Amino acid sequence: MKLAHMGVGLAMMGLAALTAGKAKAEDQELKIGVVAAESGSFVSAGNTIAAAAKLAAAKINDDGGIKVGDKTYKIKLYIRDNRTDVNVTIAAAQELVNDIGVSAIWGTETHDFSIAMAKITGPAKVLQFSGNSSLGSALNTTSVAPDGWLHYAFQTEPQEWQRSGSTARGVLALLTPLMKTKPVHSVVLVGNDATGQYLSSHYVKALEGDGQQVDLVKYPPDTTDFLPILTRIKGMHPDIVHFWYNGDSTLTAFPQAEQIHVAPAYFLFGVDPGIYEQRHLTASVPVTMSCVPECWGGPKRPDVDQYFAKYFGSGASKGPQSSVSLLYYDYFFMYAKALAEAGKVDDPDAVVNNLLKMSYQGVVSPVPLTFNSNHQVTFATEVCVVKPNTSDDFTCTTEQPPAAPPAGDPGG
Amino acid sequence: MTNHNMQSPTQPVTARVSLPEAKPRYMRGIKEPTREEWCLGILILAGLIAFPFFDPGYRFLSLAVSTIFTAIALYGLSLQFGQAGIMSVGHAGIMGVGGYTAAILANQLGLGFWESLPLAMLLSALAAAVVGLPSLRVGGQHYIIITFCFCALLVIALTNGGTFTGAATGLDVGPIPGVFGIRFAKLDNMYFLCLAALTISIAVTFAIVHSPYGRTLWSIRENEPLARAVGINTNLHKIGVFAISGAFAGLGGILQTYYLRHISPELYGAFPSLYLALMIMLGGARPLYGPLIGSIIVNFLPELGGLDPIDSRIAYGVGLLLVILLLPGGVSGGLLSLYRRGTKTRHRLEKGRGLS
Repeated sequence: MKLAHMGVGLAMMGLAALTAGKAKAEDQELKIGVVAAESGSFVSAGNTIAAAAKLAAAKINDDGGIKVGDKTYKIKLYIRDNRTDVNVTIAAAQELVNDIGVSAIWGTETHDFSIAMAKITGPAKVLQFSGNSSLGSALNTTSVAPDGWLHYAFQTEPQEWQRSGSTARGVLALLTPLMKTKPVHSVVLVGNDATGQYLSSHYVKALEGDGQQVDLVKYPPDTTDFLPILTRIKGMHPDIVHFWYNGDSTLTAFPQAEQIHVAPAYFLFGVDPGIYEQRHLTASVPVTMSCVPECWGGPKRPDVDQYFAKYFGSGASKGPQSSVSLLYYDYFFMYAKALAEAGKVDDPDAVVNNLLKMSYQGVVSPVPLTFNSNHQVTFATEVCVVKPNTSDDFTCTTEQPPAAPPAGDPGG
Repeated sequence: MTNHNMQSPTQPVTARVSLPEAKPRYMRGIKEPTREEWCLGILILAGLIAFPFFDPGYRFLSLAVSTIFTAIALYGLSLQFGQAGIMSVGHAGIMGVGGYTAAILANQLGLGFWESLPLAMLLSALAAAVVGLPSLRVGGQHYIIITFCFCALLVIALTNGGTFTGAATGLDVGPIPGVFGIRFAKLDNMYFLCLAALTISIAVTFAIVHSPYGRTLWSIRENEPLARAVGINTNLHKIGVFAISGAFAGLGGILQTYYLRHISPELYGAFPSLYLALMIMLGGARPLYGPLIGSIIVNFLPELGGLDPIDSRIAYGVGLLLVILLLPGGVSGGLLSLYRRGTKTRHRLEKGRGLS
C-alpha cells in the first residue's frame, strides 16, 4: 500500500515537472505568422514566403533560438494559406493577431490585400512585413508616424523608383553592346491591375530617364493569348519589349513573342534565370532578366548556391520568383536581431526603432539591408542577360539603386 | 353544350374546386410559411446570434462576417432571379457601386458609414435599374451576357479612374463610427451589425415575396406575356425589382467596404459575380434561407474543410450539376422537401397506427 502511495506521489511529481517544463517552453516561444498564397492565382509568390520562413525559423531554432534579455526564444511558425482571396486573408490575419497572438506577420504578397491586413495588424501593434507594391504607395511620413496606421508595417521590396531605376539601367547596360544599334524605343507590356499600374508608372519614368522613348501597353490580367497584343506591338517597331510584372504571365507571353519575332531584344520581369534554364527557354535574340537581391540560376556564387540548395532541398517549388525567398529569409534574421537588441519581446515600438536604425548584412545579400524612414527597404538589383539560342549562358551585373527618382517620378 | 353542363347533377361542383376566398386577396396563390418554417427561421436566427458565444475564434468569426454581407447581396439576387426569374452575373458590380459610393463619399466629402449608407443603397438601386433596362428588350442568356459586360466595364472604369476611384490600388475608409458606445472595429460588434442587416434583409425579402408585389413578380416569372395581357406593367415591375435587388447589393457592398476598410476593382469583377450566381443556384433562389445557405456553402465550407481553391472549384462544378439535375430548388429547397416528405411519412405512419 505504502509502495502504491509512493508510486502515485512520484507520478504526480513527474506530471508536475512535465507541466512546469511545458509552461517554461511556452514562455520562451516566439509566435510568428505567415500569410501567403499557397494556393490560388498568386501561388508563385506565396510559396516563396512560406518556404523561406520555414527555412529561416529552422535555422534560427537550430542555432539555439533568439536571445532576448535573459531568455532564449524559439520561433513557432503559424503559416496560413490565404488562397489568393481577400476574405480568407482577413480571416487569417484576425486569427493570427487575435487568437494566436503573433508578434509579427510575414506577408501577404497578394495584390492590395496587404493594405486591408494592415488595418488589423496596426492597431494590434503586430509587425507586418509585406513586399507588395500597393503597400508602398500608402507608406508615407504620416502613415508610418508612431500614431499612424502603418507604423508597424514594413515594405520588404525596395521603393519602386529605386528598383525600376536599377533594373532599367542594368537592362540597357547589358543589351546595348549586344544590339546592332543603340536601343532608343522600348515597349512596356504590363498586366492592368493594381500592382501592374503601380510598377509600370515607375519603370516607364526610369526608362525615359535613361533616354528611351517608351510606349506602355496594358493587358487584362488573365490574358493567355497574347498574340493580338504582341502583333500590335510588333507594328510599333520597338528595340526592346519589357514584359512586366507577373512572372507566370510573362512565361506565357514570352514564347508567343519569340514565335512572331516581336523585337530584337527582351526583358522579362519576375522570371529568374533558374526558371528560364529549367524550362529550356531560348530566343534568337538577347533576353534579360532581373532579380532582387540575387538571381537563382545566375552565375555561380557559393553563398547563394548554398542557400538555394537548402531552399529547394526543403521541398520548395522551383517557381518563377524563387529569388524573392532570399529576402524573406534575411528579414527573419533582421527581425531577430532587432528583437534581441530591444531586450524584450513585448515592445514592438522598440523593435520598429531598431529596424529603422539597423544596417543588416544579410546571410546571402552582398549589400546591407536598410529601411528608410518610410519603412521601405533599399538594396541593389541583379540583372542578367542570356546569350541568344542558349538557356543557361548568363552574364549578370549588380546595379545599385539611383540616388533620386527620375524626372516626373514623384517617388514611392 | 359544354362539358361543364354535361356534369352529373349528383356531383357537387364545389368538391373539385379550391376556395381562394378563404384567404385574404393579397395572399391568394402564394403559400404561407408553415409552423415548421417559422421554427426553422427562429432556430437559424438563434444559431446565428449564438455563434460568437461558442468561441469560434477570430478566423471563423471573420469568415462569418464575409458570409453574411455576401448573403445580404444574395437576397437581392434571390428576388430578381427567384421571384422575377431574371438571372444576372453582374451582381458583384452592383455591390461595387455601393462600396465605391461609400468609399468615394468618405474620401471626397468625409462622410462616414451612417451618412453614406442610404446614398450607397440608392445609387446601387439606380445602377441596377439602369443595368436592368436591356432586360426589357432581351432575356435569358442574352441578358446574362449584358450583365457580365457591365461587370467588366465597371472594373475597367474603376481601374482607370485615377485618384477619384484610387485606380487599381483602390480606396481606404476609416472604421464605422460607434453608436451608443458600441465600437464596430471590434469583430463581434461588426458581426452583430451585419447580422442585424441580414435579419432586416430576410424580413424584407419575406414581406416582398408575400405581398401583392411579390405575386406580380411571380406572375412575370411564370408567364410574362400572360401577365402583360392581364394588365400588369411588366416593364415597370421588372425595373422595380432590379432597383430593390440593387439596394440589397448596395447594403452588402457598403458593409464589405467598411469591413475590409479597403476596396479595389478586383473585388467586383466578373469572377466574383459568377460566384454570387453560383451561390444563389447552389443555395436556392426561392426558399427563404437559400441565399444564406448558398453563401455558407461557398464562403465557409471550403475553409472549414481545408479545400484548395482548385478543388473547391471542381466541387462547385460537380455540386452545381447535381443541384440542377436533382435539386432544382437548390440545397435549401432539397432539404425543405426532404423534411416535408419525412413529416408527411411520419404523419401517415401515426395515422395508420391510430387507425389500427
